[in-house]
Amino acid sequence: MTQALADPVPLRAEHPPAIEVRGLRMSYGARQVLCGVDFEVRTGEVFCLLGPNGAGKTTTVEILEGFRQRTGGSVRVLGLDPADQRSRLRERLGIVLQECGFPRQARVGELVNIWRAYYPAPRPLEELLSVVELTADRDCQVRRLSGGQRRRLDFALALAGDPDLVFLDEPTTGFDPESRRRCWAAIEKLRSLGKTIVLTTHYLDEAERLADRVAILQDGRVQTVGSVRQVARQAGVPTTISFAAPGPLRRGSVAPPGCLDVTVCGEVAVCRTANAAVALRELLAWAAEHDLGELDDLAVETPTLEDAYLRIVNGGAR
Amino acid sequence: MRLAVRQALLEQRSFWRSAEYALFTFALPLALLLLIGSTTAGGLLPGTHVKAQMIFVPSILAFGVIVAAYVNLGAKLATLRHDGVLKRIRTTPLPAGAYLTGVFASTAATTLAITACTAVIGWLAFGAAPRPAGLAEIAGGLVLGVVCFGSLGLALSSVARSAESASPIANASYLPVAIMSGIFDPTFSVPRWLSVAVGLLPVRALAQILQQGYTPVERAPLSDLLVLLCWAAVGCALAAWRFRWH
Repeated sequence: MTQALADPVPLRAEHPPAIEVRGLRMSYGARQVLCGVDFEVRTGEVFCLLGPNGAGKTTTVEILEGFRQRTGGSVRVLGLDPADQRSRLRERLGIVLQECGFPRQARVGELVNIWRAYYPAPRPLEELLSVVELTADRDCQVRRLSGGQRRRLDFALALAGDPDLVFLDEPTTGFDPESRRRCWAAIEKLRSLGKTIVLTTHYLDEAERLADRVAILQDGRVQTVGSVRQVARQAGVPTTISFAAPGPLRRGSVAPPGCLDVTVCGEVAVCRTANAAVALRELLAWAAEHDLGELDDLAVETPTLEDAYLRIVNGGAR
Repeated sequence: MRLAVRQALLEQRSFWRSAEYALFTFALPLALLLLIGSTTAGGLLPGTHVKAQMIFVPSILAFGVIVAAYVNLGAKLATLRHDGVLKRIRTTPLPAGAYLTGVFASTAATTLAITACTAVIGWLAFGAAPRPAGLAEIAGGLVLGVVCFGSLGLALSSVARSAESASPIANASYLPVAIMSGIFDPTFSVPRWLSVAVGLLPVRALAQILQQGYTPVERAPLSDLLVLLCWAAVGCALAAWRFRWH
């Protein structure tokens, strides 16, 4: 009893959650957009908010950032209430909005510098430029930057005040694969600096790659929250084991193991299971028993976030 | 305050860096000055013993104020909003007041530069120098003009639905009034009712205050002062009511 208490409690006290949302409600007129949203973002993690368009992601984030007044519920961001402690909160937030322009004639270094002046304890200019790999473009006019460079400048401005919490709204929308990679690298660098990051995105591979935990928002509620693995498990998406179907199985002279769900599709046999280890053991035993040799091209695919997401959002069969 | 000053400096640097923007902001009043001056300077205004340049030089000063403070500021803020710069500013702890003060101060500096150029060229080319006693009127008129037309520019940027429409709206709203106010041709005559209406608008009011600084004119500048103040209040109220960050 004492042991169970001893460990997690001091940890929690040391790192209170960066964001705590309880029963958050929001309505525009008669239309209820958020009907009781609950989640928590831990200090130092990358938290990703997913959901179809109109699910309330943007509204939620705007409430957290202090741009919108909520209708009900309680919200704490870095221990502050964004509704009435907005200016104190702003000093500790970095916000990267979608499609936000720059003053056209400003130069990179000059713009970062003036942004630094907006905050009480800014990071050094050199450091900001090097984090986003824009040191060489310091004297470049902003309008001459490429899309990827602009996004990295967005990051530099958001980091100017050395924020504890960074909001990224669809950071790689419209990017080519190379720019996306660099953007992801920049986000990972932010995390290594100890920043807490809240990310919204439509790209599930992005969430899967970057997020420590995800929440799926739909119809104004959080449907699921947890690590990618937990979310997949909760969604009940099976693990897929595939292998080259041996001749006897294809011809029907050997039946697949009865206790497993195996389908043969052309030259490939696919087994769907909730427990990959047990299924694998069964399969290998079955192959040995019927003298089917090694199962060629054997591959185990854990469910992707995309599978889980689609199942949850479409209310897929459980 | 320190932040507002820094913001103003950044805005000024950006203004001068954008060559065509700066050039045309300056070119328009100066070209008009030389054009009008070359045809009418030296002559007397009909029925008076007032030299034409003592009227048209201050009129162009007023025109410069309108272009810099109303048209430019309005279009600039509309563009900043369109580009999402205002939205981005709002994500920082910079108080809105400090930012707008900075932008406004930069506009005031630009206006001052334009009017100084106009006045110097008017003096060198056409010998139109302000009365020593009229300097206070000119200074006061310029300050009030910048505040009045700047706040109207702020209001304009908030009323315009898009960045593209801000410039046409600005031009369509001030040019006819400027023509009817006799900015380009002091002898331009309009029907009496129109003259009364124009008298209630800030363009002629500002021009007359500045003209007073060059040569005593018969009309009472007190009502002009009132008109400018009223429009400054209207501009501020409109801007406060409609100003949006995105």
